[in-house]
Amino acid sequence: MATQLQTPGAIGPEAVTTRAANAPAWLAERRRAAWEAYTALPMPDRTRDEDWRRTDIRGLEPDEYVVDPGPTGHGAGLVEAMREMRDRIAPDAAFVASTRNGVRALEGAEALRAQGVTVCSLEDAAVHDEAAVRRALAHVPVDGSKFTALWNALWRGGCFVHVPTGVEAAVPVVAAHSAAGDHAAILPATVVVLEAGASLTLVELEASPAAQGTMLSDAVSILHLGEGSRLDHCLLQRWSASTWHLATHRGVLERDSRLRFFAATFGSRLQKVYWDALLEGQGADATLTGVCFGGGDQHLDHQSLQAHRAPATRSDLLLKVAVRDRAQSVYGGLITVDRAAQRTDGYVQNRNLMLSRGARASGIPMLEIKANDVRCSHGVTAGHIDTEQRFYLQSRGVDPEAADRLIVRGFMQDALDRSPHAGFAEFVGGVLDEVVAGHSAAGVEAEGPS
Amino acid sequence: MTMAVTVEAHELTKDYKFGFHDIDVSVFRTEKGLSPEVVAAISAHKNEPEWMLKFRLKALSHFRKRAMPSWGADLSGIDFDNIYYYVKPTEEQSRSWDDVPDSIRQTFDKLGIPEAERKFLAGVSAQYDSEVVYHSIREDLDKLGVVFGDCDTGLRDHPEIFRKYFGTVIPANDNKFAALNSAVWSGGSFVYVPKGVRVDIPLQAYFRINSDNMGQFERTLIIAEEGSYVHYIEGCTAPTYSSDSLHSAVVEIIAHKDAHVRYTTIQNWSNNVYNLVTKRAVAYEGARVEWIDGNLGSKVTMKYPAIYLMGEHAHGEVLSAAFAGEGQHQDAGSKCIHVASNTTSNVVSRSISKGGGRTSYRGHIKVHEKATGVRSSVRCDALLLDEESQSDTYPYMDIDSPDVSIGHEATVSKIGDEQIFYLMSRGLSESDATALIVNGFFEPFVKELPMEYAVELNRLLAVQMEGSVG
Repeated sequence: MATQLQTPGAIGPEAVTTRAANAPAWLAERRRAAWEAYTALPMPDRTRDEDWRRTDIRGLEPDEYVVDPGPTGHGAGLVEAMREMRDRIAPDAAFVASTRNGVRALEGAEALRAQGVTVCSLEDAAVHDEAAVRRALAHVPVDGSKFTALWNALWRGGCFVHVPTGVEAAVPVVAAHSAAGDHAAILPATVVVLEAGASLTLVELEASPAAQGTMLSDAVSILHLGEGSRLDHCLLQRWSASTWHLATHRGVLERDSRLRFFAATFGSRLQKVYWDALLEGQGADATLTGVCFGGGDQHLDHQSLQAHRAPATRSDLLLKVAVRDRAQSVYGGLITVDRAAQRTDGYVQNRNLMLSRGARASGIPMLEIKANDVRCSHGVTAGHIDTEQRFYLQSRGVDPEAADRLIVRGFMQDALDRSPHAGFAEFVGGVLDEVVAGHSAAGVEAEGPS
Repeated sequence: MTMAVTVEAHELTKDYKFGFHDIDVSVFRTEKGLSPEVVAAISAHKNEPEWMLKFRLKALSHFRKRAMPSWGADLSGIDFDNIYYYVKPTEEQSRSWDDVPDSIRQTFDKLGIPEAERKFLAGVSAQYDSEVVYHSIREDLDKLGVVFGDCDTGLRDHPEIFRKYFGTVIPANDNKFAALNSAVWSGGSFVYVPKGVRVDIPLQAYFRINSDNMGQFERTLIIAEEGSYVHYIEGCTAPTYSSDSLHSAVVEIIAHKDAHVRYTTIQNWSNNVYNLVTKRAVAYEGARVEWIDGNLGSKVTMKYPAIYLMGEHAHGEVLSAAFAGEGQHQDAGSKCIHVASNTTSNVVSRSISKGGGRTSYRGHIKVHEKATGVRSSVRCDALLLDEESQSDTYPYMDIDSPDVSIGHEATVSKIGDEQIFYLMSRGLSESDATALIVNGFFEPFVKELPMEYAVELNRLLAVQMEGSVG
C-alpha cells in the first residue's frame, strides 16, 4: 500500500488499532479480520459487479474520510436536533444518539429497563451481553462485501436493544445517527435482538446538516427476530446532498416472526442500500415499504432481497420513488425461494414517478424460484405527471408547485399508509412536502464538526 | 382460433421425434476447431469477395478477445476446438425437390418439408448442416421482386443491397457468439420485400444439424421496404448424438417505414444442442416487428430477440413460450429499446419447467432520454410442474425519459389444485386435466401460429408432458 501521510483519525489501520484496543478480545479479533477483508476486497466495479452496474462510486476514496475527529466536536447541537425529531415522531420513545464520538445521549429507557429490556450502546453490549451481540453480528460476516467489511472493522457507539422472551416493549426506541464536518465518516450501527414472543418498535434516524463538505456514511442494522416475535422498524435517511451513503439493513426472521420495515429516503448524493429479509423459519412474514424522493443530481439505489428459506413464509415489498431534475433511481430486487420453502407468498412492487426531463429510473425485479407450490409475483411501473392533471389543478387555482406537491403526496400516500408507526408516517409526510417544495433534505441545522 | 386440446400422447413415442440421423454424406468439411485458416477456407470455398473475408477475420479476432458471458446459462460444456465449423452436404443447391440427394431428401421428407410447402407456403428453404440444400419460391412472388434465398446467394446475386445492410443491425463485435457467427457463418435466409409488396402467406426455412460435433452458424437478413409485409417462419431440429452440438445464429431484420415483419421460430433442437442466438430488428417510423419465439428443445438456449424502435410510432411485439424439461435450461427473453417518441412495445412470455428443468426470462426495456410518449408492457408468467424445477425472472428496465408509461408484471406459480379438481370433477383424468391447463397456458402463443404449426406444437407439448403426473 502507498505510504502517504494520513489525515489523523482517517479510515485506516490506526483507527482499527484504536477500536480494537477498546474492545473485548473476540471483538478486537473480529475488527482486525474485517479490516483485512476490507483491504483485500476490491472496490465495487460497474463492469464486474452486476448489482453495481448502474451505480458509479469511482469518485469515493474512503481513506480520505475521518472516523475519529478527536475531542474537538462533541455534537451537542446535533444531538439536540435529533432529540427534537424524536419529540415530533414519538415523544415517549427511549432515545439513543450516536455521533462519530460514540453514543452521546441515552435517555428515556427507564420503563424499558423495568421490563428487563436492554437498551445501551453496542460497544457496551459487546461486553455485557456478549452472546446476543455475537449471534447478531454473525448475520453480517466480516468479509461479506467491501462496505460491510469496513463497517465491521470500524463501527463505533451504536444502538443495541435486547428484548427478553415474551416482553412487549412499553415504548419505542429511537436510534439516531448523526455527523457533521467536511470529510466526516460515520458508521451507524443498530442491533436488535428479539427473543421468542417479544415485540418492539424501532425508529432509526440518519441526518446531517446541509452542505458542510463531503461526508461518508456506512451503516448496518441487524435485526434478529426470534420465534413469534414482532418488530416494527422505521428508518429515515436525511444525509446532506454531498454525502455518500452505503447501508445494509438485514432482518433474520425465525419461525412465525413478523417484520414490518418502513424506510423513507430523501438525502445523500449517492446511496446504495441493501434491504435483506431472510425468512429462515416457517410462517415468517416480512413487509417492506419504501418512500423515496430524489432531486438535483442525487443517485438513489435500493437493492432488496426477500429470501424464502422455510415453508409458508410471506414477503411483500412496495417501493415508491419520485425523481426530479437530474436525479436517478436504481432499484434491484430479488425474491428467492428455496426448495424447502413450499407455500411461499412473495411480492414486489416498484412504482416510479418521473417529474422532469433528465430524471431517470431503473427497475430490475428478479425472481429465482425453486419450489413449485408458491405464489410469487412482481410489478414495476414508471409514469409521469399527466399535463392534464397539472392543468386541472391549476384551473382550480392550485399553483404549479403546490400541484406537484399534491400529486407526489397522492402518489406516495398508499406507501405512507403502510408505516407501522403513525407518528413516523406523519413526520415523513411533512418532510416529503418540504423536500418537494425545494427545501434541503438534510435533517439538522449546521454547527461545527462533530 | 381454438386449438385442439385433446392430446394424443399415446400416438407419439416418448423419444425425441426428430432424433434420427443420416449417414454423413458431406462433400466438404473444414478441419475441427477454429483458426484464421479455417475461416479463410470457408470464405474461399464460397468464392466470397475480399470485404467478406476481412469481415470474417476481424470477427474472429473479436471472438477470441471476448470473454465468455459471466451471466446466464452454464456454457462450460462447450469445447470450441472440438467442433466442425463448416460442413457442406451436397454440391449443388436444388430448386426442385426431386433433385435433392436421396439421403437428404429422405430426412426432410421425415420432417414433412415438401408436404408443408404444398399446403400453404410461399417459399421454403431447407438448410442441412452448413448449407442450404433446397430452396424454392412461388413464381408470382418472384415476379413482384420478392427475393427469398440463402444468404450466400444473397451476397453473390444482390451484392449492393446485401452489403448495405449486412452486419449493420448486429455488428460483428456485438457479443461473443455474434462474433463467432460473423466469422464462420454459412447459409441462412436472405429476404428482400420491395416497397408496398405484401407476401400474404409465410416464407419458411428449415434448419437441421446432421453431423456429430457440428456447429451450425446460419445468418439471416430480412429487409422489408416501405409499407411491405412478410411473415418468416423457421423450424430447427437435430439428431441426438452423444456429444454436444452448437447452434449460433445471427438474425437481422430491417423494417422500413410502415413495414410489418413477423418472425416465427419453433426451436426444437435435440437436448444436446447449445443454442446461442442473437436476433435483432430495427423498426423505423410506423413499422411493426413481431417476434413469435417458441423454445422447446436444446440443452441450453440463450436468446433474447430485440427490437430497436428507431422511428416515431414504431411498434414491437415479443410473444414467447418456453418449455424446459430434464437437463434443459431455457434462458430466453426480449429487448425493446425505445429510441424514438410515441413508440410502443408489448412483451408476453409464458414458460413451463418440469423434471428439474429451468426456465429464465431475461428482458430489457430501455427508453432513451429524448423519447416521449413511450408505452411498454411486459407480462411474464411461469408454471412450475414439480418440486425439482426452477424458474427465474430477470427483467431490466432503464427509463431515461419522464414521459412514459411502462409496466412489468410477472408471476410464478404451480397449477392450482382447485383447477385440477374442477376438471377431474368433470370427468377428465389428472393427466388430461394437466395437459389441458398447460395447453391453455400457452394459448396466447399458440393462437399466433399458423394452424399446422399450432397442431405440431401441441403434439410436441404432449410428448414433453408425458409422465408429468404421477
